[in-house]
Amino acid sequence: MRRHDVVVVGAGLAGQRAALAAVGAGADVAIVSKLHPLRSHSGAAQGGINAAVGAEDSVDTHIYDTVKGSDYLGDQDAIEFFCREAGPTVVEMEHFGTIFSRGDDGSLARRPFGGAGFPRTIYAADRTGLALLQALYERLGTEPFTLYEEWDLTSLIVRDERCQGIVGFDRRTGSFEPIAAKAVVIATGPAGRIYGRTTNAHTCTGDGIAAAYRAGAFLKDMEFVQFHPTALLESAILITEGARGEGGILKNGKGERFMSRYAPHVLELASRDVVSRAIWTEVKEGRGFPGDFVHLELMHLGRERIESRLEEICDFSRKFAGIDPVVEPIPVMPAQHYMMGGVGTNIQGATNIPGLFAAGEAACVSIHGANRLGGNSLLETLVFGKQAGIAAAAYARTAADPSIVVADGKAEAARIETMVRRPDGEDPATIRVDLQRLMDAQVGIYRDFATLADALAKLKALKARYAKVRVRDGSKAFNLNLVEALEAGNMLDLAETIIVGAIARTESRGAHARTDHPKRDDAGWMRHTLAAYARDGPKLSYAPVAYTRWEPKERVY
Amino acid sequence: MPGELVEAPIEVYRFDPATDKAPRYERHVLSLAPHTPVLTALLRIRAEEDPTLSLRYSCRSAICGSCAMLINSKSRLACQTPIGPEIERHGRIVVDPMRNQPVLRDLVTEMTPFWSQYRRIEPHLIADPAHPMPEGRPTSMTPAQVERFRETPRCIACAACYSACPAVEADPMFPGPMALAKLYRFVVDPRDGATRERLVRIQPNGLWLCLRCHLCTEACPKGVRPSERIMDLKELAIAAQGATDPGSRHAVAFKENIRERGVLNELKLARQTAGTAGFLAQLPQGVRIARRKPELSKTPPTIAGKEEVEKLYEALDDGGSSA
Repeated sequence: MRRHDVVVVGAGLAGQRAALAAVGAGADVAIVSKLHPLRSHSGAAQGGINAAVGAEDSVDTHIYDTVKGSDYLGDQDAIEFFCREAGPTVVEMEHFGTIFSRGDDGSLARRPFGGAGFPRTIYAADRTGLALLQALYERLGTEPFTLYEEWDLTSLIVRDERCQGIVGFDRRTGSFEPIAAKAVVIATGPAGRIYGRTTNAHTCTGDGIAAAYRAGAFLKDMEFVQFHPTALLESAILITEGARGEGGILKNGKGERFMSRYAPHVLELASRDVVSRAIWTEVKEGRGFPGDFVHLELMHLGRERIESRLEEICDFSRKFAGIDPVVEPIPVMPAQHYMMGGVGTNIQGATNIPGLFAAGEAACVSIHGANRLGGNSLLETLVFGKQAGIAAAAYARTAADPSIVVADGKAEAARIETMVRRPDGEDPATIRVDLQRLMDAQVGIYRDFATLADALAKLKALKARYAKVRVRDGSKAFNLNLVEALEAGNMLDLAETIIVGAIARTESRGAHARTDHPKRDDAGWMRHTLAAYARDGPKLSYAPVAYTRWEPKERVY
Repeated sequence: MPGELVEAPIEVYRFDPATDKAPRYERHVLSLAPHTPVLTALLRIRAEEDPTLSLRYSCRSAICGSCAMLINSKSRLACQTPIGPEIERHGRIVVDPMRNQPVLRDLVTEMTPFWSQYRRIEPHLIADPAHPMPEGRPTSMTPAQVERFRETPRCIACAACYSACPAVEADPMFPGPMALAKLYRFVVDPRDGATRERLVRIQPNGLWLCLRCHLCTEACPKGVRPSERIMDLKELAIAAQGATDPGSRHAVAFKENIRERGVLNELKLARQTAGTAGFLAQLPQGVRIARRKPELSKTPPTIAGKEEVEKLYEALDDGGSSA
């Protein structure tokens, strides 16, 4: 029987930072991850990490920008804590070995990002996530911990009203194995793959969020889904906001720099929800290029700057789109990019289930509210990963021994075998593809009641099909067919919380834009959505937003 | 995206060691646009034809390092290898698991040796008690210090280089290109306090086993150019410790040896590399070789035009490499 004080599920930046903090607090720690830690999707983050360290900048401005960016749905106490931790967090990562880009004077280089009052995004070319992931993994590697690599989370074990462990699926052996834990941290990242057109990796299927939800954790603000303004047309591969931070401009099919109509003061550097809606509107009103897209122009920045500071996206554009950004514009359209919502937590990462913690994109503290600013997500993984690790280790110190037994693994194996093994049935891949098409078409940048209600009906139909899902692969080792079936179930559950939350929220705020309710409604809706699992679909309740100093104002960029 | 589709015959290596006696290839023919990445083609096979095909993949944008495999015998990332040029050149696409790693299933390989070699180089900053990190603020770095990091941070640990490396195949003790490129990243880091120790530790059963074939640099999908980093390390290793390891002695001896006559004197090279005692120990083997190839046991005459060779050496001494 495997036993640990703290089990962290997910090995990206949030999970690794949680593990490092928990080890530091004296806990026996294990990480469970379906990918090798260095393969985590944190490594795909490009643009940078925010910290108000410049002489002209201030923590207060970072707080204000984040509050405003959240469209006043972010919890201001959490945002204040978050922004104060930014400077020390970046310094710590530099001391761990992160290779950041530098200015000529040897200091950390900073670039402007959307929705920010000053250039405060510290970066490592355009692979900041990879630079941080490598440095953190290398630092964590000097500490004792157990790694369960290429293990999927299938469920959390909640007994006697506290989380006591997990069941994992070991891809190498094909067996279901319980792990007893006094505390569990969910850091499994997002579920972006419920959309077809997403910048997220294929593996971003929300496994931890779904397991927490089914175990009784509240999911917070799931209807807020961020669409990144600039992704490559066919592949939806991300073109960093850093491209606009470096001076890149957007043009429509008429050659107009159209952002002047939507954000007259900061143009392309408005927050992401604003820029994505602008691009969408231009194209829908017939001012896109034939084939429905706009241009991101970098040519005027010059070869040297493009190839040094935007090395990866230069490479991506050439290899994946056959476009050389040095000499021609990049055709782009928005794509699903980030989930503001997730497992609801407080500042310490605690959920409503004792012994269960969450951090990173899988969690919702909430600091991003209705719309996240670029450069705040890498920071979030590290700041709140650390908090969750500290809190989990502290909880584990006083928690009684879990009552997990070997039979828990056998029971889980039997449950899943019954769920997916049948002589006839549908392959999980076709259900996944249909879900992705549905979300792309009906739960996108602009929403309205009729389209969402229809989407919910279609989602219920997909769930009915999933009840007859069939895994054809009978092999033990690396049975991706089975993994896919588990992932599809997770994605369906989470998609449902997004749709149900979006139907209920009859206002437009941040990334949630209802054409039938185009105004923000502070009196009615300045509150967090909480979704609780029930057999026939999520039950919604609401929680107040925490205020400190900033009164809601109209949001203009 | 508009454009014509091509018929793409794809032959995929299939093997489940638990149930199959031998590997086999399964052939699929898909209609795809020429710019379609091989990974997309494989995922279509999974989704539409055969969900039992197993492989590793995640980001599909050449940043997670999951999908290295052999594509028409070359170690490549499947996500950034378009099918069009492969079909044009080879008429088909043959997909195999990476080399130098046992197969766990289909295209999934055992990567533990690769990761062990990565850990062997101690991939983390080692504190320098003489130069502690500045408290509460980041380290300052000059543009010249930053410049030395140019290629190595691009590494995504995909193991394409490890798969392509004949030195790994010949001797599993060899750390492989990725681990050595990673070592270089720490050796040039001004924050690291163990530069010399790193350079000393990597020489036995390590650095000098590289064959200088540059196949790693050809395979690397991110432009890390591992073989060049290995050459950089060899220079730094000799600078740090002198030519004391058999590997470095061989490299230096090679250089001095050819300078004398403009041509390699094999007999003398063996003595220069191994020292007199080592030379005597190798004598029986030497005699066997000399019987087969008598020309190797004689001192060769000085070549015509040796002054041209000397000019090359002088140019090298002005700023070139000894390793």
